[in-house]
Amino acid sequence: MGVITHTPAEQTLIDLLDGAEDWRAAAREAVVKFGLPTKRAEAWKWSDLRRATQGIEAAGVAGYRLDGSAIGPQITLGAGEEMMLDLTATAGVGIAALEIHVPAGQTARLIERHDLAAGAFVTARLEITLGEAATLERVVISEIDADAVGALRTRVVVAKHAKYRQSAVSFGSKLSRHETHVSHAGEGAEVDLGAVYLLAEGRHADFTSTVTHTGAGGVTRQLVKGAVAAHAQGVFQGKFKVEQAAQQTDAKMTHRALMLSDKAEIDAKPELEIYADDVQCAHGNALGAIDETALFYMRQRGLSEAKARAMLIESFLTEPLMLIESETLRERVTGLLRVRLGEMA
Amino acid sequence: MAAVKETIEDVKKLEADKYKYGFTTDVDTEVAPKGLNEGIVRYISAKKDEPEWMLEWRLDALKRFQEMAEPKWAKVDYPPIDFQDISYFAAPKAGAKYESIDDVPEEILKDFEKLGIPLKEQEVLLGVKGAAASAAEARETPKVAVDAVFDSVSVVTTFKEELAKAGVIFCSISEAMRDYPELVKQYLGSVVPTTDNYYATLNSAVFSDGSFVYVPPGVRCPMELSTYFRMNAEGTGQFERTLIIADKGAYVSYLEGCTAPMRDENQLHAAVVELIALDDAEIKYSTVQNWWPGDENGKGGVYNFVTKRGDCRGKNSKISWTQVETGSAITWKYPSCVLRGENSRGEFYSIAVTNGRQQADTGTKMIHLGKGSTSRIISKGISAGRSDQTYRGLVSVHAKAEGARNFTQCDSLLIGDQCGAHTVPYVECKTPKAVLEHEATTTKLSEDQLFYARQRGLDEEAATALLVNGFVREVLQELPMEFAVEAQQLLKVSLEGSVG
Repeated sequence: MGVITHTPAEQTLIDLLDGAEDWRAAAREAVVKFGLPTKRAEAWKWSDLRRATQGIEAAGVAGYRLDGSAIGPQITLGAGEEMMLDLTATAGVGIAALEIHVPAGQTARLIERHDLAAGAFVTARLEITLGEAATLERVVISEIDADAVGALRTRVVVAKHAKYRQSAVSFGSKLSRHETHVSHAGEGAEVDLGAVYLLAEGRHADFTSTVTHTGAGGVTRQLVKGAVAAHAQGVFQGKFKVEQAAQQTDAKMTHRALMLSDKAEIDAKPELEIYADDVQCAHGNALGAIDETALFYMRQRGLSEAKARAMLIESFLTEPLMLIESETLRERVTGLLRVRLGEMA
Repeated sequence: MAAVKETIEDVKKLEADKYKYGFTTDVDTEVAPKGLNEGIVRYISAKKDEPEWMLEWRLDALKRFQEMAEPKWAKVDYPPIDFQDISYFAAPKAGAKYESIDDVPEEILKDFEKLGIPLKEQEVLLGVKGAAASAAEARETPKVAVDAVFDSVSVVTTFKEELAKAGVIFCSISEAMRDYPELVKQYLGSVVPTTDNYYATLNSAVFSDGSFVYVPPGVRCPMELSTYFRMNAEGTGQFERTLIIADKGAYVSYLEGCTAPMRDENQLHAAVVELIALDDAEIKYSTVQNWWPGDENGKGGVYNFVTKRGDCRGKNSKISWTQVETGSAITWKYPSCVLRGENSRGEFYSIAVTNGRQQADTGTKMIHLGKGSTSRIISKGISAGRSDQTYRGLVSVHAKAEGARNFTQCDSLLIGDQCGAHTVPYVECKTPKAVLEHEATTTKLSEDQLFYARQRGLDEEAATALLVNGFVREVLQELPMEFAVEAQQLLKVSLEGSVG
């Protein structure tokens, strides 16, 4: 491969990372060498980051804030706390990073909101570690500007007997990539990954995840549902890896999506990589349109077509959100979906 | 766990002698010098007395091949292949073509006889080995026409006259180039273009022989057609090319089988198969692949890098792939269907068994372009020993393919805890008027079921075989009857010693 010509966004990113250490140095190296990933890279085949960041040039400001205040690079949560974590960014190229630790036996809840301005390109990195028998519930609400680009990566290390529960809802943008990579120690540890995407015209959202089971007896449940309008693109790439030591792993992955219009696009790759024989692993993937029979039935009952459609889509999409423990929070997130559906009708 | 320990021991015992096709046949063979260059391509073309346009086609492919890089995305691991250390042409010395069965050297006939492939028509009439031609079944013994490919050349094609009566052309591709140049010119490379992928390009440059089938409009081919590929010579690769055309309303069922001697070296097999189904036509293509898989330490074995693609060009056309993959050290193979015609249908039924150190990355692609096109994928993978197996598939529905439907099911069975089973299905959908479903499971043999079967007096091996047969039954049913029995036997042999 020859030397690549960097786009302005790449150049700004390289400058921002200049002189950095740790993972930033490696990230810089990768951008210098290969640029931002394009659809030619297998893992980015449906989310061309390089293309989406065309036209973004200057540096912007991005960062995480906890309960409204600026925070350092690391925080510790516990004692049943509920915290609001905000990822914000102004137009331009920004980098955000945070490490969150939940100590052994502790319980916490994190409500994460994304607010990226038009013309922002944020590459964010969240590192979460759960100690033994710790519990963390994370609810992610990604409502970003249609003209923002987000490449948001979360790595979660789940120790034995710990519980990690993640529910994410994304309304997409020019390009929204939500990556979750879980290292799952098993031994009674449980991981739940729920996600919903509802994409209005022209938007893109990508849920990419890997769950690597390293110890025996782990449980993983993943349910991702989406609905996509015209010229919008929903992407799901899920991977369960079961290492040889992870016997008796019980893992199930499901992706279902509705295409709301001609010219909608959904791409999916639910992947299993298994090296242990005594496991139960399954994945399912189904794509289709709204059930016309159900629609007809509801219209017979006097509902307008738009109303009936919205109700059907809402009931389809909310299933992964049942994971959210707090009823008020669940209602709030469902409410957001309802508003968006109203706007899309 | 005792069973696991037993498995490990059994796998250790897995001896090469389980592969009963591992013999070599002493035939005076003419082998081209090793190496890949323009000279060799010209040599092959000249050997086959090809027209000028064919040579140009090959040289163009060679040029492209030299600019391409080997694909690395498959989940298989092998040392780099030295393409200059392979001989690209080997043929029995007596000549590349035999006018009749009587001219075929006795050694070669014996070789095929040993493999259970009857080449003398009167013998064929007695029934194919493995066929359940019991007296109780009063049906007529089915006839099977065979094209036998020995190293780089087709040595004999049986039942040609009888097929000709029905208007069916069944011959080696070299003969087709000579006798039906227009058909070959029109269709060769129209499904798998010269530069489709690395190995297809290599094949385009150096392909030696293979089968050609043309079934005219409205004709139902009166018998099963089959090609048997045998790799015999040392240090060679086999690069065959098969082209099957079912014209409007035609039907043909085709089976290929393959074996190779046991050798310490890795032999390369890079074939290209193109199927074309016009309006209302149907092609059923079945493969029983049993190339030498290498010994228990992964020494030797065939690298099977194959491009197979069918084009459902006409409306209501149908192409069905059925494969039983038990051989080869490394398999890299994705029989696919381009569903271009309205209401066309693609099917893929696969059983892949890996044992010892085998690696297989196999699956299918269903490209839905036509309205109302439907496809069905049933894949059953069985991994045992220290093998690794991946199902990799793509279902792609284009915006115009309204009413398209796909159902995919891929199940993996792991026998023993040293093996791997992976599933990588890709789905791309661009119309809401399509319904796509995918299911996949990975499990091990159920202890309960094994226990139950053993309670009924079956020993562990027989119980495993019974359960495995149940696991793959959906696919076996798709094989032509005559070969289903053989495939069932093959599964037993492949899994022998891997009871867990």
